[in-house]
Amino acid sequence: MKRKSVATAAAGIATLAVALATSTPAMGQGNPIRIGVDTPISGTYAPIGQQVKWGLELATKEINAAGGVMGRPLQLIYEDGEANPAVATQKAEKLFQVDKVDFLTGTVNSGATLAVGQVAERNHRLMATTVSFADSITGDKCSPNVYRVNAKAGQQSAALAAWLAKAKPKARVFFLGPDYEMGRSTVAAFKAAAEQKGATTVGEVFAPLGNKDYSPFFGQIRAARPDVLYTSVAGNDTVRLFTQLDEFGLLKNLQVVGASGTVTSQNMGAIEKAAEGFVTGVGYSPEIDTPANHKFVAAFRAAYKTPPDLYGADSYGVLYFYKAAVEKAGSTDTDKVRAAMADLVWATPQGSKTMRAGDHQAMQVMYTVKFTHGEFKIISEVPAAEAIGPDDCKRF
Amino acid sequence: MHGLLETLQFVYAPQVVNGLSIGVAVILMALGLTILFGLLDVINMAHGEFYALGAYLAVSLLAAGVDFWLCLLVVPLLMLPLGYVTERLLIQRVFNRKDRHVLTLLLTFGLGIVLEDAYRIVFGPNTVRVDSPISGAANVLGMYFPNYRLFVMGVGALIIALVWVVVFRTRLGAMVRAAAHDRQMASSLGVPVSRVYSGTFAFGVALAGLAGVLLAPIYSVFPTMGKDFILLAFTVVIVGGMGSIKGAVIAGLVLMQIQALASLYISPVWTEPLLFGVMVLVLMWRPQGLFGKLGNG
Repeated sequence: MKRKSVATAAAGIATLAVALATSTPAMGQGNPIRIGVDTPISGTYAPIGQQVKWGLELATKEINAAGGVMGRPLQLIYEDGEANPAVATQKAEKLFQVDKVDFLTGTVNSGATLAVGQVAERNHRLMATTVSFADSITGDKCSPNVYRVNAKAGQQSAALAAWLAKAKPKARVFFLGPDYEMGRSTVAAFKAAAEQKGATTVGEVFAPLGNKDYSPFFGQIRAARPDVLYTSVAGNDTVRLFTQLDEFGLLKNLQVVGASGTVTSQNMGAIEKAAEGFVTGVGYSPEIDTPANHKFVAAFRAAYKTPPDLYGADSYGVLYFYKAAVEKAGSTDTDKVRAAMADLVWATPQGSKTMRAGDHQAMQVMYTVKFTHGEFKIISEVPAAEAIGPDDCKRF
Repeated sequence: MHGLLETLQFVYAPQVVNGLSIGVAVILMALGLTILFGLLDVINMAHGEFYALGAYLAVSLLAAGVDFWLCLLVVPLLMLPLGYVTERLLIQRVFNRKDRHVLTLLLTFGLGIVLEDAYRIVFGPNTVRVDSPISGAANVLGMYFPNYRLFVMGVGALIIALVWVVVFRTRLGAMVRAAAHDRQMASSLGVPVSRVYSGTFAFGVALAGLAGVLLAPIYSVFPTMGKDFILLAFTVVIVGGMGSIKGAVIAGLVLMQIQALASLYISPVWTEPLLFGVMVLVLMWRPQGLFGKLGNG
């Protein structure tokens, strides 16, 4: 064990030496600021991890080319956290203890974000998720060391519920979520938001993460006769669910709505026909018509031959959030950076965001988008203050 | 508001048909297990990993441009020598010991773990999607059902019937049954017992591989896929009676109907504990299973 850690340290020093030797003057003088990326490189969420990686890489490239953060370049250090909190915490521990990262990001699975948040607290370091939806992360399970730059389930459902109340008043809604933190909380959030606007719940069921066959779940859907199906499955699960819904003829006379992570650029190619008409509430769409977004989308497309999705955009944005905070604090010290992050306003491709000091949740304009002919089109917009909801965090 | 007839047609009928299609898939898995136990007296814990191997072979062949329908034929043929060699090199070593059940169980369990990790290393940990060779859905009496699942039901039923014919109606099957029933007597009558055992094991393995190819377009292919079906298949074999083909078929159909209909009222996730509960009850009141003969496979 000891010999192994010595070897790892030696390898780390060697990597650092190479990085320093090859760094160009434009990348700044000081030691690099190390960003740990604990993201799924394998498993059912690997496509999401890919967007996270691309977003972070693009921002790192831009920031380093412009002189880094306070003259120090950013360095990304990856670990495969899989879609599994137990693995993600081990990898986070390694990033903090062995690689001595200054900041951590990349967690996808909400359970992993919550667990890794505790690791960050123990190591007295800060982290931010750019993907996880579960409201509890910045709600009743909030942590002084955990931030969320993406929109939470509550913001997405507020936008979606507002649209649904207009498009299908008094709808009969059936809920199908993946059976873990994110699935349960997205369903609970949309249920509350939709019922408040006059919808009726006709049933809910949860399928395991990575479920292969959804057909046994269809019986309850058929029996409930819903007008609307809400789902918050993601990644490859979406491909299987939508394909099977289509094959079993359930999509007729059924409006499918869902979480923003359900249909993304990573999986839409495989389900183009089955996902037609799908509506969701999002914090980002490549369609957003602003110069900042056009520039970001063009750079992303040029680098990776595919458009960014919400994960790519928010992972790109998180490094600008960290950069703004470190520059405001004048240091990478945890307490100073935390103080700087309170109510920090920073620029992202989707416009400026504000980090609410009370619960560490970013506030932003929300959109509803509809999947039409292989692309998401923006169909409505909800202001930041209307979508954010109350601050439920009581720990700090 | 909605008539009883309509509910039967649109809610119960699709669920029953779906239960049938899953039932056929589980029986295909259970069949190999029960044959190996009934005829060879070997509990093959690596059966699920052979099923996964069949699926991975199909994925590799498809990637090399081989037609899916050819895969259905080629993969089981490739699995035959593999099963034969496995029996010769591994099973034979412990087969004649006194504690054969425990030893073969542990040996195949270990083999399963090694195989699963091998798939992870060779093919990567991610799920591979296999495109369905038959697309679209059939509209039967106003009820939609994917064509490929209908095809799997048909082919599955055919395979089950063929296996039954081979075991009970052919000279080869008679030789195998004789070797299983009384090894010494069969041997003295000129049955090449050792080769019959290896051949039977190879047959069981090939059956698992065939199931792997057939089900790959429905369930996708991933390293731990063997674990998904093996618990259900073991449940079916135990309830039906270890070693009984008829038992496996009937238990498979009945258990999967219980699961399908229960899924209408409780979360489908909770139907598996229900089936395992049935298995526990069977073990308590009729440990030989519905159609099994304890002590003689």
